[in-house]
Order: sequence, then structure tokens, then C-alpha cells
Amino acid sequence: MASADKLINTDVPEKDVFAFHFLQSLSNLRKQNPFDTPDQKNYRVRKIKKAAYVSMARAAGGSSRLWSRALLRRAAKDDNKIVRFSRRKRKVTWKISSKRRRSNQRAPVVEEAAERLRNLVPGGGGMETSKLMEETAHYIKCLSMQVKVMQCLVDGLHYNKN
Amino acid sequence: MSNRRSRQSSSASRISDDQMIDLVSKLRQFLPEIHERRRSDKVSASKVLQETCNYIRKLHREVDNLSDRLSQLLDSVDEDSPEAVVIRSLLM
Repeated sequence: MASADKLINTDVPEKDVFAFHFLQSLSNLRKQNPFDTPDQKNYRVRKIKKAAYVSMARAAGGSSRLWSRALLRRAAKDDNKIVRFSRRKRKVTWKISSKRRRSNQRAPVVEEAAERLRNLVPGGGGMETSKLMEETAHYIKCLSMQVKVMQCLVDGLHYNKN
Repeated sequence: MSNRRSRQSSSASRISDDQMIDLVSKLRQFLPEIHERRRSDKVSASKVLQETCNYIRKLHREVDNLSDRLSQLLDSVDEDSPEAVVIRSLLM
């Protein structure tokens, strides 16, 4: 019964965890640069977008997922920071080189679609197809949570303004 | 069966095809607009993957959109009570 071996867990934290991390990021942004100059609009938008992704990765468990690790590493590289993740006790190394990955025996049409998915999911490039599916499921759940949080915030601020 | 298992463990621990099907069906649950197919047990994996890509792109666009609106709203809000109310309502 090979299929009963591994438990594949795609649970994500509750919405308030995402909300908390995002609000924390936003308040940090506020402290760093007060939003005063109007010509820096694009810069502000990019900062907020980045805060959204970083806080989502943190809320989702930081280093416990391949996609969140890749996202945080990429964000830190943009800031020229060095990110160090603690060595985790890993039974299986999921990241394999693309040369080995090519020998994956799934149907070519599936592999082609999986390749497009790899470009969308952070860190997807080094993942094997089966791991990619698992990471994608978790990534989608977290993304939709993040979108809900942001929508709530926008609605709340909009309502308060009027 | 045992042959299959030993071959599996030697090659980077690939999961079996059953698990693959299971994962794909799990992915289907998260996709909001997928249509019910007649042969729902034999999932069209590439179709699911395609829908997944579209869904991810859509979510990325929404994040962009909402970031834009947030940036507009955040700089026009005063410091004190409106924000506190919003924050409280979010964390309830």
C-alpha cells in the first residue's frame, strides 16, 4: 500500500494570522517612510505589494515550506540582505537539479503544464512534479487568504473614509 | 508490488501515481470554477494544472490591485481612531 505511506498536509493558518503579519508589515512601512510625497506613488505600491508577499510567507510558516522560503530569500536578496534558514532535520531532499528532474516519467503534456506552474510558484524551478503539486496547493490557499485579508482592509478603510 | 517499492525508494522518493491523482483531485477542490466532469475519477491532470496556473495568475493580479488601492487609501487616512477601528475589526 504505497499510497498510504506519506501524509500530505496542506493546512494553512487562520485568517487572523495573515492579518496580524500583514498589519505588522504595514506599520513597519509607516515607521520607515511616512507617506508624504505624492510622486513616490509607484514606490509605495511596490513596497506594499512586497510587504503583502513577505508577510504571507511568514504567516504561512516561514521556513517550513519550500515556496515561502524561496519567496523570503528572493525578497531579502532584493534588499541586499543575507537570509539564513536554520538547518532542519529533513528526511528527504526535495530539491533536485533540473537535469535529474528531466528524467521524471510523467506524461509530457502534464510535464508541460507543470513547467508553466513552476514559473508561477516561488521556488518551483527545483521541485519535482509531485512536490510541486503539494506546494502549489498550499501556495494557493495562502494566496487566497492574503487576498481576503487585503480586501477586508480595503473595505474597512474605504468605509471609514466616507 | 515490492519491486515497485524498491524502485521508488531508489529514485528520489517519487510518490506513486495514486498519490499523484489524489493530489490533483485536492487541487481541484481549491479551484473555484472548475466544471464537473463526467469521468471525475479519471482527472485530466493537465487541465487541472492549466486551471491552477490561471487561478494563480488571477490571485497575483488581485494582490497587485489591492496593493494599489491600499496605497491610495493609506495615505489619505488620519492617524488615530479610524485605523484603530479597522484594525480591531480585522482581528476580531
